[in-house]
Amino acid sequence: MPGTTRRNVLIRAGALAATAVAAPILAACQPAAKTGGSGKVVVMTDPNEFNDDDRKTLEAATKLKIEVVASNLTTLYAMWAAGNPPDVFRVQAAGVPQYISRKMVKNLQSYFANSKLLKPDDLAPANNFYKWDGKAIGTGDLYGMVKDWSPDFTLYAYTKAFDDAGVKVPSDTTPLTYDELRDLAKKVNKKDAGKRVYWGFVHSNNDAWIDRTAMNMLAEKNQTLYSADFSKLVISGNSEATKVIRYLYDLAADGVQQTPIDPSPNWMGADFNEGQIALLQYGYWFSAMAESDKTKGKTVFLPAPTWAGVRRDPTMTATGWVISSQTKDVDAAWAVFEQYMGGKPAQDRAKSGWGVPGLKSMYGQMPQESAFQKQVQKVLQGELSKSDFILQFNPYIGEETFSTSWKKNLEPALKGSISFDKFVQNIEAEVNTAIADGKRIIGG
Amino acid sequence: MAGATQVLPRTIPRPAAWRRPGVRRAVTFYLLISPWLVGFVLLGALPLAGAFLMSLTNYDGLNLDYLSFVGADNYARALGDPDAQYALGRTLLLMLVVVPVGLVLQLALALMVNQPIRFSNVFRTIFYLPYVIPVVAGVWIWKIFVDPSGGLVNAALGVVLPDFNVRWLVEYPTFVLALLTIWGAAGGGMVVFLAGLQGIPAEYREAAMIDGASRTQVTRFITLPLLTPVIFFNLVTGIIVALQILVQPMLLSPGILGLNPGTVPPRDNYFYVVHAYIEIFTKQLFGYGSALLWLLFAVVLGLTVLLFKTSRRWVFYGVEI
Repeated sequence: MPGTTRRNVLIRAGALAATAVAAPILAACQPAAKTGGSGKVVVMTDPNEFNDDDRKTLEAATKLKIEVVASNLTTLYAMWAAGNPPDVFRVQAAGVPQYISRKMVKNLQSYFANSKLLKPDDLAPANNFYKWDGKAIGTGDLYGMVKDWSPDFTLYAYTKAFDDAGVKVPSDTTPLTYDELRDLAKKVNKKDAGKRVYWGFVHSNNDAWIDRTAMNMLAEKNQTLYSADFSKLVISGNSEATKVIRYLYDLAADGVQQTPIDPSPNWMGADFNEGQIALLQYGYWFSAMAESDKTKGKTVFLPAPTWAGVRRDPTMTATGWVISSQTKDVDAAWAVFEQYMGGKPAQDRAKSGWGVPGLKSMYGQMPQESAFQKQVQKVLQGELSKSDFILQFNPYIGEETFSTSWKKNLEPALKGSISFDKFVQNIEAEVNTAIADGKRIIGG
Repeated sequence: MAGATQVLPRTIPRPAAWRRPGVRRAVTFYLLISPWLVGFVLLGALPLAGAFLMSLTNYDGLNLDYLSFVGADNYARALGDPDAQYALGRTLLLMLVVVPVGLVLQLALALMVNQPIRFSNVFRTIFYLPYVIPVVAGVWIWKIFVDPSGGLVNAALGVVLPDFNVRWLVEYPTFVLALLTIWGAAGGGMVVFLAGLQGIPAEYREAAMIDGASRTQVTRFITLPLLTPVIFFNLVTGIIVALQILVQPMLLSPGILGLNPGTVPPRDNYFYVVHAYIEIFTKQLFGYGSALLWLLFAVVLGLTVLLFKTSRRWVFYGVEI
């Protein structure tokens, strides 16, 4: 066929591809069109936290159509990369500084100031994680809000594990020290013929939140993992940070915690429900599901342990919503946001016990019917006074950066391939490289 | 010259451009290949070109406001990245184990189900089944098999070896992954080999057997040489698949995160694309991750070219080319 050679086909395909590549780039150079809203708000959230009834309630209240996208970091990044982020998306505290500093989320201060449902004076302390003053979180304008929250360093004890070990269940009025906790964990930890019976102490969401745990322990001595300007992770150069990291490493080496060399096939919450964890570090929210058929009547809620005698029990997740800076209709996104945070869905969440409400005026709606719920409330009230504290997350790195490096290096360290010092050096090197990358990208 | 008929020169009307045979054939050709062409451009060429452009920038996947051109910096960094080197080494090792063992198994299965035996279709279906099971389900099946507490493997071995308790995914993660990969790919390769076997004229084998060749000799001197194009095809595709392995090691990792940022496979299963995934989605270094993937493309291309060069010595196409 004249003119239709393989070479011609490939050349034309290449030209078509080049045109297709160039088109969006050229389009991106044009000023963004100021289009109005489509009457639809795309919400990326966890379907477990936003059911179909919530969607219908919000649609009725706002007269807007809501499209729900399941929350997932990979999907979120892909949507941003495609220039089509959701209007509203679910975040956790550790990611907030990064999203704000990268101008990905809207400043909502004026919306809060004019809201009848979400009054700034009524906001629970966990909402301070969504305040940004231009350099750090904790003060300044509001960029989002917690859907609910928990003091996250509290403990759940499975009393049968203690009974089996002949050890007294810790008091729910006198907090443990972290050293006492380690000793207890070793006593109640149990294997039978190489098979797991009880994990002694499982914490940090299977190491996914290990940096948050370390930061809260360090906060008792007014210290942190990072330099003041967040430009460096400092462990080996800070004796207290080294002590904390050593403590957490030793817990893994003790074999009382789920680790890469002794993992559980399940999520730690499910393991607790199966009666396989003696002490579990999770927030108030877990009380809604802590009592399974196996653990009912054998679960006690305990106050957060202390590292240096100055207890702090903030949330380490502060899970909530923000509004994308790219949304085409902020008012519509805010309408959905406001109703979810202050309307009927918020009331329903408060009554469910799946977290402390984001508004103080709803605290009284938390469930207190069963004996366990009453015991939980008694401990929780003591913890709330310790929860007005902010963990300063690094704005230059993603929320998984530290924990990924920890998990990657923990396996060779526990297997003896690298020393503890090398373990720390590797984490410092990897996280500091990531910080340097982040600084190069966003400046600062 | 009266009465003479004058023949006037007649102009033949030129057909419209679209009616010319060459143009019509070209249009028909492009219309017929357009589904592939559109797919290739949108799903192949466009992402490739986009990823290459990305690899020359500091793109973090989040905000174009901070985008800047960094030239070949990402490539220079990748060449000096110890994790990338380690991961590439592990990937090549996996490939060296999985590809030859997989090919032998696929061929053996194809030879077996090609025999005129009863229920051969049932066996073909059984052997092909792992290939069509979704990879997530396949991984979960293996996770359950090798679970140290209630897994089938430890339970079976425990019958003969009391107190036997191996944590397969901790102590031998690459071994489990290799078995999973070979198991998952066996059915697909078997079908290709089977098609190749059934394309070999029966007369060749019959003639050899009449001349006194044994079954082994027929396989060695007739079947295998005529199957070399199929072996070559399965070898090339097997190498490409092995070098790009990502989902299986992530899903086999401890915990329940699966293919998500935060998942870290055991060090033995830290393969090249896993490293690229972590750089892209955990550290948000989309530009750097793209450079890593382009370097992998270069490795794949190099190996493929090498195989094509050697194929002249051992692949028999049956016709002179």
